Amino acid sequence: MVEKKLEKIIFKQDLDRLFEESLKDFTVYGPIEKKGNIVFEKIDKSDNLKLNYLNSKIPPKSVIFPQTETLFEYEKKDDEIIFKESNNVGKKRIIFGIRPCDAHSFTLLETFFSFGKFEDDLFLKKRENTILIGIGCNTPKNTCFCTSVNGHPFKDDDVDIFLVDLTEKYLVTPISDRGKELIEGISWLNNANKNDLKKSVELANNAESAIETNLNLDNISEKLDNNFYNSLWKEISEVCIGCGTCAFLCPTCHCFDVIDEEDHYNNRGRRVRIWDTCQFPLYTLHTSGHNPRSSRIQRCRNRILHKFCYYPQNYDLIGCVGCGRCIQYCPVNNDIRVILDKFQKLSEEEEEKLLVA
Amino acid sequence: MLPELYMPKLTKIRNIRSENQANDIKTFELVFNNQEDLEEFNYIPGQFAELSILGKGECPIGIASSPTEPDSLKFTVKRMGTVTTAMHDSKEEDIVGIRGPFGNGWPIEDMKNKNIVIIGGGFAFSTLRSLTEYLIHESNRSEYGNITVIYGNRNPGELLYEPEIERWKKRDDLNIYLTIDQEAEGWSGMVGYVAPVVKEISPSPDDSIATVCGPPIMIKTTIDVLKELGFSSEQILNSLEMRMKCGVGKCGRCNIGNKYVCIDGPVFSLKELEDMPDEY
Repeated sequence: MVEKKLEKIIFKQDLDRLFEESLKDFTVYGPIEKKGNIVFEKIDKSDNLKLNYLNSKIPPKSVIFPQTETLFEYEKKDDEIIFKESNNVGKKRIIFGIRPCDAHSFTLLETFFSFGKFEDDLFLKKRENTILIGIGCNTPKNTCFCTSVNGHPFKDDDVDIFLVDLTEKYLVTPISDRGKELIEGISWLNNANKNDLKKSVELANNAESAIETNLNLDNISEKLDNNFYNSLWKEISEVCIGCGTCAFLCPTCHCFDVIDEEDHYNNRGRRVRIWDTCQFPLYTLHTSGHNPRSSRIQRCRNRILHKFCYYPQNYDLIGCVGCGRCIQYCPVNNDIRVILDKFQKLSEEEEEKLLVA
Repeated sequence: MLPELYMPKLTKIRNIRSENQANDIKTFELVFNNQEDLEEFNYIPGQFAELSILGKGECPIGIASSPTEPDSLKFTVKRMGTVTTAMHDSKEEDIVGIRGPFGNGWPIEDMKNKNIVIIGGGFAFSTLRSLTEYLIHESNRSEYGNITVIYGNRNPGELLYEPEIERWKKRDDLNIYLTIDQEAEGWSGMVGYVAPVVKEISPSPDDSIATVCGPPIMIKTTIDVLKELGFSSEQILNSLEMRMKCGVGKCGRCNIGNKYVCIDGPVFSLKELEDMPDEY
């Protein structure tokens, strides 16, 4: 059964009305330009909004999983400790204009944080209270490879509402139930016509063909697993300087450190979690001095395997959305597409070449 | 919202016992402030918990007490880093936060009706203390076969749990062998590294499970001896240590391949370890 989607349109000049009237109960985050980069920040009108952006440098996961996040605050009183909350979990958020790749990363993070016996209630509650309004990518970058990792520049199933830039207006497609509810509540939106829909399909096709990378990732998980000790890892890690940019700008990376900050003289403090990365030796360093991933070879390998081997093994998903940030911002031009391709194309003879311990 | 997963439950230190001559290993007995928290803390030997000194941080420590010892929890802590040093600077009645229990623990159900060989080296004996106390408790002893404890230390001053060991020695349903690296005055136990001592004792592999905890070199040499004696990789269990933060499989760092030591371990059979990448 084909479900009726009830597409609407909104003219670009009406965006302010949308924010000021219809979304006023939400805290809206959108892409704005700052210091030459795109960042997702709180917006209340459309002035600074830049929806024809390529992508933000820092992924919008930071809206609900910020680089530094307070888990709780505490106060010491006499012999007692009193805990206080400090994280705005209940805030109703909208992330406006998120790209399909980044929206897909929310689905991956949700899967990870809810997996197993322990649920990360902090992340999941924030996710639950966040509506995603996505926008199709009319002009993907040359580092984009979403179509190689089950994505698409117009993939709309990770968002609540999907927008397509039709030059003078946006096509507005409600996707989820709450997306539909929200759109139904905005009485002044006009219905989309056949031409709008046709143009949207054309744009989607153009965007898809603009992506030049076409990686064959069939059985990549097994391939990487079988070549854990392959000498290729040495070659790949040789140029890496271990800066961690790839992980810090990755929309699917979720690892964090936990530290306490104490205000000693005022008998209070807080416990925070901070993004961390497997690219740093300190990440795995034992107090004894032993380090299970002391070499850069091991650390480079862990990042690739986590996304393309462990993620598929544990959750039956690829842990990468093809946004290309790690490629674009790597200071030594390490390219995850090239790395995967090299493993995929290893000959039987090359598979025999192992790292020397 | 206070994120439940990361909220420590509060306890008070009831007792601190110094365990070694160097005085850098102490056993802390902790009592929950709320009875409910105690009731919810259902654990088995081999699990661990995250201990907090608020303002200093949190670290994972194996549970040294056995669930057969009610009312309190015991943790044996070596002074090593920020949090463990803060623990050592604490006194009785001070507050310690705790999250847990975490990890899989020793497979006490699968170990039933088996002979158990408990092998420990140095201060890695804490969850083996828990296991031993659990196995010899009157409500459990009949469920298990012969129990052999082999425990090695550098010198007599490093031997942990002396009161418990004295009590264990008096039992006739437990064989205990203590060894130190070199002869020392007044020492009546065995002398030599753990591995050759295990060889000398030669526990039978028939219907047996061996648990091995200690420094890496001791584990490696002991495993070689156990294999020589006929133990299969499935019959040898290890408990791993890893740098951890969350303890619940979210912060990422304790992975070995696609396994997390905090939720899939810390106890792994040698067979499992042989199938895992060499990153521990």
